[in-house]
Amino acid sequence: MVQIHVKLASEKGGYQEWAMIELQGTLETRNPIPFSGRFIGDLHFTHKDVPILIIGHHILYGKVVTLEKPYGILVKDAEVTDRAPGAGQTSYTIRAVIRKKLLFKTRPKPIIANVPKKV
Amino acid sequence: MEIVNKRTLDEIDSVLEFAKLGRDEIKSVTQSIYFSEQLDSEGIKLLELDTAVLTALENGERVIIRGDKEDSAVLCTESETFEVKLGEVSNALLIVPDMTLGSELTDTLLPSIQYQQVNSVMHTFYELRKMKPRLQKLRSLLEENPYAGQAAEGDVDHQGTKYTFNELLNLVQGSEREIKIALEKMQAIVIDGYWRVLDFDFLVQVMSHLLQLCDENSWLDQGIPIQECLSVLQDIFPRTVIEHVLKNFADKITPATGKDDDEKHMQIDIDYYRLNEDKVCRFFAEQILKHARKFNLSQFLSTWEKSVPDGMKTSVSQLEGIALIDRDSNPEVISYMTVDTLPEEISERFNHLFRIREKWSLPEITPYIKDLTTDKMDVTAMLTKSFKNTQYWFSSGNGLGDCFCNLKDFDAIVLI
Repeated sequence: MVQIHVKLASEKGGYQEWAMIELQGTLETRNPIPFSGRFIGDLHFTHKDVPILIIGHHILYGKVVTLEKPYGILVKDAEVTDRAPGAGQTSYTIRAVIRKKLLFKTRPKPIIANVPKKV
Repeated sequence: MEIVNKRTLDEIDSVLEFAKLGRDEIKSVTQSIYFSEQLDSEGIKLLELDTAVLTALENGERVIIRGDKEDSAVLCTESETFEVKLGEVSNALLIVPDMTLGSELTDTLLPSIQYQQVNSVMHTFYELRKMKPRLQKLRSLLEENPYAGQAAEGDVDHQGTKYTFNELLNLVQGSEREIKIALEKMQAIVIDGYWRVLDFDFLVQVMSHLLQLCDENSWLDQGIPIQECLSVLQDIFPRTVIEHVLKNFADKITPATGKDDDEKHMQIDIDYYRLNEDKVCRFFAEQILKHARKFNLSQFLSTWEKSVPDGMKTSVSQLEGIALIDRDSNPEVISYMTVDTLPEEISERFNHLFRIREKWSLPEITPYIKDLTTDKMDVTAMLTKSFKNTQYWFSSGNGLGDCFCNLKDFDAIVLI
């Protein structure tokens, strides 16, 4: 049987707290180009801490949700190889824990810029 | 990592203007979100952490995911077992390590920007659901080579694999604590570092020597002085085995706070055990039933009563979980059935039980399902849940208590 050891990051201060944005649907670009390095959008907060995300020509209002069960971020450890393949034990480290997420589930509102005033 | 073509405050402000969002409505800090140059959605996995699991991890407990080709994966802390399931979401989960929530933002006097990076986009996560450990395999592993005494170890019949605790951990999907409890429940014993179950016929031998010794010394009434008992029997059986059998069939007598001080002082150094009547009677019933499988009930009861040591009283209640009594047949019969060999999964268990018998009363079925109960689901809840769809639950109203039966048999039962 495979046994995978899971442990918490033991570096100074233990694991980190990360955050997460949940978007309804998926992000797509007009052209199939890699996402890496690309700008997504601006995140603002109102004075009442309501998150507002502006992506392209869309504005999204969201809310802060505390996760009932936090997510652990599992990262596979470098295998401790004893040279023999498969002899190394697979293990994972929980680098961070996510306890809160920004959930954007309402329909994005389009931003209409420079609407020409028609007569 | 540097972000090229960083977004400027001017750009942010012009978008705000288009969006008709006033600067006065929002906090001064804007977080501009980018995909990381090293965007890697394969490198990490999301694991939903049950509170118990997180606490275990924080306490430095060993947490292990165990799985093989046949079984689905489970996660075990030192004391609990969880089913691991892959969950999928249609939403995109963007992991932004350094993002700050509104309530934690420090307001700046003038508008400012923080650059944030998404390092992975996830659509799946692993869910954990607390489950009963899959321990049936434990029994079958130990039964590969039951212990039948030191002399028999060299026999051809006793060359099956023996397992150490660590080897069992590797093969059984359960936490350390759950496996230890199960080993104790199946009365397993460590011999030369291996966990073994006692061969039943061997146990019969040990018990008969033990009972004979008790009889000769009137220890049944007075209690068994453990050291004296061990020193007599150790010529025949290993001490650990005798101690183990005593532990399973006898209870340590707690010295009564006697009025007679002298007597108390005399006995203080000696540990006494008293045979447990229920356990011993049950053992004798098992001896009879194991070989016969099915038995005429009244014949069985009289044979059983005669077989037990003098002074012990048999009672049908001692048979709970090892025998089934069929009162509907003529004559009434009793058959051997233990819970250990039944399927571990709830619906499979019910299917199995209802193939054996069409209807069950609550007290009859309880011993055969109570091992599957959890904190959240007791026997009644489990029955009601399992019978909601395909089967029927009713109160018989004939003084026999509630009955559970298959819906297809409903017509037949109404006639009773």
